Formats: sequence, C-alpha cells, structure tokens
Amino acid sequence: MVRRVTIKKKEWFTDDIFGLEIYLPDIDPQPGQFFQVRVSTTYDPFLNRPISVASYKGGTMLMIIRVLGRGTKILSQKEAGEDLRVLGPFGKGLRVKKKKSLLIAGGIGVAPLLFLAQKMHGKRIEFDFVYGAKREKDLIKKSHILQIAKHAIFVTEQDRGKMTVLGALDMLDVESYDIAYACGPKTMLIELQKLNLPIPVYAFCEDFLGCGCGLCLGCAIMYKGEYKRICEDGPVFELKGISFDE
Amino acid sequence: MMKLFGITFKNRVFIASGVFGFGLKYKKVSNRVGAIFTKGITLEPRKGNAPPRVFETASGLINWVGLENPGVEKFCKDILPKMKKLRTRIFVNVAGSEVIDYERIVERIGGQVDGFELNISCPNVKKGGVAFGQDPKIAASVVARARTKTKLPLIVKLTPNFCDPLRIAKVCIGAGADGISLINTLYGMVYDIERKKPLITGGLSGPAIKPFALYCVNRLRGLGVPIIGMGGIMTGQDAYEFLLAGASAVAIGSAILRDPYAPLQIIKELKKYPPPPSSPSERGRIKEGEKKEYK
Ligand SMILES: Cc1cc2nc3c(=O)[nH]c(=O)nc-3n(C[C@H](O)[C@H](O)[C@H](O)COP(=O)(O)OP(=O)(O)OC[C@H]3O[C@@H](n4cnc5c(N)ncnc54)[C@H](O)[C@@H]3O)c2cc1C
Ligand SMILES: Cc1cc2nc3c(=O)[nH]c(=O)nc-3n(C[C@H](O)[C@H](O)[C@H](O)COP(=O)(O)O)c2cc1C
Ligand code: FES
Repeated sequence: MVRRVTIKKKEWFTDDIFGLEIYLPDIDPQPGQFFQVRVSTTYDPFLNRPISVASYKGGTMLMIIRVLGRGTKILSQKEAGEDLRVLGPFGKGLRVKKKKSLLIAGGIGVAPLLFLAQKMHGKRIEFDFVYGAKREKDLIKKSHILQIAKHAIFVTEQDRGKMTVLGALDMLDVESYDIAYACGPKTMLIELQKLNLPIPVYAFCEDFLGCGCGLCLGCAIMYKGEYKRICEDGPVFELKGISFDE
Repeated sequence: MMKLFGITFKNRVFIASGVFGFGLKYKKVSNRVGAIFTKGITLEPRKGNAPPRVFETASGLINWVGLENPGVEKFCKDILPKMKKLRTRIFVNVAGSEVIDYERIVERIGGQVDGFELNISCPNVKKGGVAFGQDPKIAASVVARARTKTKLPLIVKLTPNFCDPLRIAKVCIGAGADGISLINTLYGMVYDIERKKPLITGGLSGPAIKPFALYCVNRLRGLGVPIIGMGGIMTGQDAYEFLLAGASAVAIGSAILRDPYAPLQIIKELKKYPPPPSSPSERGRIKEGEKKEYK
C-alpha cells in the first residue's frame, strides 16, 4: 500500500547528498531492505525510486539520497513538512550474524551499510568500516561511524596517491574477519569480486528497478547461473555468485 | 458482476499480462479484480533477457523482459494449483515462437483455467522474427489451431505495431476468437549517446501510450466480440474512457509498477461513473451448454 507520510526533517550532508526523515512506526525493517519512493504525483517521472533504509530508530526512518538524475533531483527539492509517498519495505532483509564483520562502502553505498552498522552495534557485534568517496567532503556521517565501528578507515581519491576503498583493504588482515558486506558502484563490486577475498562477501546491489516488489521481472541479476530478482531475491547477494556481464 | 463470454466476472477491471506475475503475491488485489492475465507462458522455460530490462521514458517505460517464465509444464505443476485458489478469473497469456506452440500450450493447460489470451505480438522465429500478429494469415492460423484445442474463451491480444489491428482482429474473429485484447506495448528504443548505440529496445507502455490505445479500441468497436482495452490506464476515469470507446472491460498494466494496489483504487473510482452503454457483444459467443460457472 502506498503510504502518505510527512517529511519530518530534511538535511543536506554534502552538495549532492541529502537525508529525509519520515515517521513509520509500524514496521521492522532489516538491513538491505528499501522503500519505493514516489517521485511525482504526475506520471513523469513515472516510476518510484528505490532508496535504502539508512537508519531506523523508534519509528523514525532515515533515507540518505544522492542526486543522480531527474527523480532524485525532484526528491531533493522536497522540504520538511511536505508529503512523501512510499511503499515498502521491500527486499529480503539481511539477518545479522554474530560474526566479526568488515563493512566496505563506496560513495552513496554507505547508506544501507549505515543501517547494517546500526543493527550490529545494537547487537554488540564487532565490525570494522572501510569507506571511500571521491572527495573528503563526500564522506558523510564520519563521526557516527567512528563512534560505532571498532576501527574505521576513510579514504578518498584526493589523498594518499588516490587511494580507493579496495586499495585500503591491503592495509587490513582480511582473513581476520569472518564475513564482509559491500555496497558501492558496480565498478567497485566488480573489482572487489576480482580480489577474491578469502572470506564470504555479501554485496548490496543497486540498479534501476521497475516495480521494486517482484512483479514485473524488470530487475534481473545473473546469480549462480540463473536470473534472480534484485528487488525480491536481493538486493543482497553473495558476491562470488554474481555474473556482472550477463 | 457482469457477464462476458457467457461467464460472470466480479467487475470490469482486470490485470494485464506481465505486471503481476501469477497473482500470488498481492492476493488481496487478485481476489478483488475481475480477472488476471498471467505472465506470458511459453512451451519451454525462458530465462529472459539480460539487463537492463526496464527503462523509464516520458510518462511510461520501455520493457525488454523477454518473456521470462517457467514454461508450461512447470506452470501447470507448481503454479496453477496455487492460482486456482484465487477468487478471480484466470486467463493464461500464451506466447509462442512457432505457430504450433500456441495450440500445444492451450492443450496442455486444458480446462484448468477460465480462458486463454493468445499473445500474438511475439516474434515468430520461423518467419524471421516478424510478430505473428502482424501477418493476418499467420494470426488466423494461430487462432484457428488453438480453437480446435479448447472450448474456453479465447481472447487474442493484438499488437498495434506496424499493422492495422482492425484487419487482424477481423481475421482472428473469423478464425474463432471470442474476444480481443489490446493494446500490447508499442515498439520503443532509448539511445545511449556516449556509446552511440541503443541502450534498450523493447515495448513502450504507460500513460504515454494511452491516447493511441484508446484510438485502437475505438477503431475496433462494434466487431461483435468483447474488447479488453488497455494501455496507460491509471485512474477510474481512464478506465471509463476505454469503456466508452468500446471496451467491455479494461486491464491495468504499468500502473501496477507504481502501486500494486492500483487496480483496487481504479475499481473504486470507476464506481462513480454510470454504467457504460452495454454493447451487444457482451452477450458473447460461447453457447449455453459450454458455460463455465463462477466458483
Ligand atoms: C535496492 C536499492 C537501494 C538503493 N538505495 C539507495 C540509497 O539509499 N540512496 C541513494 O541515493 N540511491 C539508492 N539507490 C539508487 C537509486 O535508486 C538511484 O540512484 C535512483 O533511482 C536514480 O534515480 P534518478 O531519477 O535520479 O536517476 P535517473 O534519471 O533515473 O537515471 C540517471 C541516469 O542513469 C541512466 N539510466 C536510467 N535508467 C537506466 C537503466 N534502466 N539502465 C541503465 N541506465 C539507466 C540514464 O542515463 C539517466 O540519465 C538504490 C537502488 C536500489 C536498487
Ligand atoms: C513489464 C511488463 C511486462 C509485460 N509482459 C507481457 C507479457 O508477458 N505478455 C503480454 O501479452 N503482454 C505483456 N506486457 C504488456 C501489457 O500486458 C500491456 O498490454 C501493456 O503494457 C499496455 O498497458 P499499460 O500501458 O497499462 O502497461 C507487459 C508489460 C510490461 C510493462
Ligand atoms: S523491479 Fe519489478 S520484479 Fe524487481
């Protein structure tokens, strides 16, 4: 059901990343789950936009959105007090495991991982956080991450000879972790897959969706030899099972 | 309640093929619409096309899903038993890559459903990819051959691409079709200006195609068989326009991608309008003895 909610708070984190807070008391979202956000009450843009849960506490949900194209631009013009229509939560929630975890975020991919971190922190699960972005000012929620992660590494393409998130992994003893979770641009996930880390890596996949709820078959990802639905079977998949080129 | 093809329907709002899977997810919606048209079923399983499969365009979208479906065998074994529990009419959307596929699928499914919708907009492999529905002779032969396999309502879903649906509708009715549904998606394409090649080629749907869909329905009115009208229906008013243009029922497609509950809202809104002038075609062509009563 499309829910009509009021935007409680709007906040700009950088010049193109903003947060919208809404109150949705009757749900229990899990990391990886997302909402389909209605962009326009007219038919153009037509489709809803998938946006991850970045935080959920006491009924208040935060979505962190990067302005990419037309839809996110329109969303960025909404202000506190205005209406927002959302559907969800959709996607298979991730069951947080009591394992020593490594969270790997690239760019806006940090959004769903912040929620995962929040859940892990709540369950006292130890995790480290590696987070990279193009510029220093694109790194959002740094102090928050420092507070809840055991160790955090921030890298930007501006510093230390254009360090990337994956470059930063070299500085870690990856084998000391039980599991890793990654979210970022497709190019980052492809490179990460090539690294063939010695631990299971779960990727949060972002793509353009149709319905977002398993009806239209519009969101295919080749996983272990067959097409799966990103919106329904995912959006979290084990990285090594994904074929990015099919 | 209303009657078409000699069987009763809860209402005139149906769900179009391909946007609701098999109706098993949002059962509350399934149980309240007049009928559900399944995702296209082929003889063999199809894994579908490589992504991107959907691309938003002005007031609509282009899809290139590629008829991903489990094939008729698995459909009958695993899906149909669950679908039969739904409290709505079920029409199987039948898709083929050869003429013979249609009759074989219809025969395999037999009397387990309420009717069939022959999707003749698919490319005909033997004829170099031209859609069955663009060639009157082939369209007629698909219908005539499927007709020999079933007494259930046989609806033909027409493509409006590069052919006159009126001409195709006439030969299909001549070959034994009980009804016509239209329109299927329009050919569409999006270009990638950086790579200088198409980003997606597929079927255009949504509000962008509504005026053309309405025109097509209106063009086919008065042929003596019920028309299921579709193409960009988003509201009760849109649905009513199709009914006025000559449709006996409407099907909701892309609207569901924005809101899976859209059909319920449309049903509610449609109640505000006076009943459309009933068309003689609603008496249907199914003979009394062959009636299938509502469960
Ligand atoms: C599960 C999930 C969770 C997500 N979570 C977040 C989140 O928390 N925060 C966030 O900021 N983003 C998130 N995203 C990504 C977000 O949904 C997109 O950035 C957003 O939909 C873009 O909309 P837009 O209208 O701004 O861009 P659009 O205008 O739709 O697209 C921008 C450009 O991309 C290209 N494009 C558009 N559609 C396609 C297509 N189908 N195939 C190829 N290229 C295309 C076009 O050239 C277009 O100009 C998530 C995505 C998914 C699937
Ligand atoms: C994602 C998607 C998948 C579709 N799949 C099928 C299909 O399998 N068989 C078929 O006959 N039509 C299919 N269609 C076409 C619709 O049933 C309908 O004819 C068309 O989309 C026009 O209606 P609309 O504008 O309301 O969507 C599909 C449409 C969409 C958007
Ligand atoms: S977006 Fe429709 S099935 Fe995933």
